[in-house]
Amino acid sequence: MKKILLATACLFLGAGIANAQAPVPDNLEKLSNFQSTGTTEFTFIEQSGEYADGIRKNLERIKMPAGFKIELYAVVPDARHMAVGPQGIVTFVGTRKDKVWAVTDRNKDRVADEVKDFAPSLKFAIPNGPCFSKDGFLYIDEQNRVLVYPAAEFFYESPDVAAFNVVKQGELIPPEEESYNHTARVCKIGPDGKLYISLGQPFNVSPAEKLDLYKKAGIGGMIRMNTDGTGREVYTYGIRNSVGHDFHPVTGELWFTDNQVDGMGDDIPPGEINRQTAPGQHFGHPWYGGGDVRTNEYKNEEVPVDVVMPAVETVAHGADLGMHFYTGNMFPAHYKNAIFSAQHGSWNRTTPVGARVMVTHIDDEGNATTEPFAEGWIDENGEYLGRPVDVAELRDGSILVSDDLAGAIYRISYEGN
Amino acid sequence: MLRAAILILGGVFLAQGAFAQDLAGDPQAGRKKAGMCRTCHGLDGYAKIPIAPHIGGEPASYIARQLKAFRQGTRTHEMMSVVAKSLDDQSIADLAAWYSAHSVATSLPQGKSEADAPEVCIACHGATGIGQVENVPNLAGESAIYIDTQLKAFRLGKRTDEVMSAIAADLSNDEIRDLADWYASVKLEITQAQ
Repeated sequence: MKKILLATACLFLGAGIANAQAPVPDNLEKLSNFQSTGTTEFTFIEQSGEYADGIRKNLERIKMPAGFKIELYAVVPDARHMAVGPQGIVTFVGTRKDKVWAVTDRNKDRVADEVKDFAPSLKFAIPNGPCFSKDGFLYIDEQNRVLVYPAAEFFYESPDVAAFNVVKQGELIPPEEESYNHTARVCKIGPDGKLYISLGQPFNVSPAEKLDLYKKAGIGGMIRMNTDGTGREVYTYGIRNSVGHDFHPVTGELWFTDNQVDGMGDDIPPGEINRQTAPGQHFGHPWYGGGDVRTNEYKNEEVPVDVVMPAVETVAHGADLGMHFYTGNMFPAHYKNAIFSAQHGSWNRTTPVGARVMVTHIDDEGNATTEPFAEGWIDENGEYLGRPVDVAELRDGSILVSDDLAGAIYRISYEGN
Repeated sequence: MLRAAILILGGVFLAQGAFAQDLAGDPQAGRKKAGMCRTCHGLDGYAKIPIAPHIGGEPASYIARQLKAFRQGTRTHEMMSVVAKSLDDQSIADLAAWYSAHSVATSLPQGKSEADAPEVCIACHGATGIGQVENVPNLAGESAIYIDTQLKAFRLGKRTDEVMSAIAADLSNDEIRDLADWYASVKLEITQAQ
């Protein structure tokens, strides 16, 4: 009886608080008017000590081609996708929680010396994917909004930054379609200067009754828009959950990873790296579960669209996430314009696979082949020591790899010369 | 309002009656089966990824009820719906027994006291987010967005519960986020059972 009374008490209190609702001052509005929010405190992350040493120890196990070296660059809790500032001052790192981290290497010894939260007066929701324009505007796509932070590389030193809506809260997707899973959005600025944002669909396989709505909103696809939020259109269809894309430095074509259907067995369907050659192309979901493997839910249906098959089929359930075309001069020449991508690792495969950095070479005809580049984050017990998420490039041509399990960013450099 | 409360009481009675028939779980058998859970929830139930809740030390009745809801389709999640389909009643009882066997401890961030806890939640979830009533989950240390999206799912009817559906119905987005931030700020420690 006491339990029931308590449960009822919950209910009545709930009604009370809702009636006493007061308007909450909106910090975004203040920042958009260059006003102070009164926030003065940063959260700083300790960069030395036992925790950092433990990560360094794990890195001793990582195998790479001869001449490459991996080191701890920064301790960054929940580190997801990264955006390196065009001035080379700071790297912004998203999370699937409520923080964006600003990582600074002040003395330029290629190890970060300061990690603090960005824009602490703002309440973020899944700010997974930051991206920069060449002229220093930082864009951060969240669960259901996109904000722009002009001159973020300078303003980030203060708790109050300049911040403006690109896509207002509740307008990126219909709010009733919000979810936590498959909501790690990624953005990149295309060669056309537009903002390209991936929108995962929240199911294992999209149910038929959602397909019309999703097609219209670009859920299970990629949208693009002008950097002021106008001109929004769906650029890509038939994606299950893409968590990484980039543009080929020469052709300008969009390439993206896609995570494929679960529950069909350990070895199917394959993961995907895709190449898009024209606007509006369809990549197969929900009729295909990955590669040319048909989903059980739609196997008896005729596929009503022309489907572009993946450029590369990757290991099933490896979870290919962030990717980056290498344009630097530090690595040997054959890595130029190759894709470095991260495999997060499987979550329910009998024997885990993934948790490594892959490299994809693309020949002149556009044929792509993928192989492991850095691996060793699964130990002899099948336990993860780290789970790579994204790859970014520093101005010196070294690459950064984020890891949301260890809460770290690694730097891979080449010293074989 | 009164009618709603009566309906809710009926629901609580029905739900609790159902638990009486639950199978007895074996924690050691559950530990072995937890191999399929640990990548996301950890072996001790302290989650390894933010989208997964901490389930260590959660009431067995809550864990079992959620797994059955995922299996039945009354609660859906892209990963859990796949996993739960493969579980029989005994496996659910064993997993619930293993994860509920751990002990939990909480601490508040500096400068906060239990008096700051959201009134609307504390009767059932406690000031620090430890369930005070059978079948109520712990909220301590969950990521804010997990709690936020669950409350919104209750408000939208995507997830249903006798008590939570009614409570969430009256909450604004800002209120939901404030409640979520409170419990996310609590530090949770789980001590693994032997």
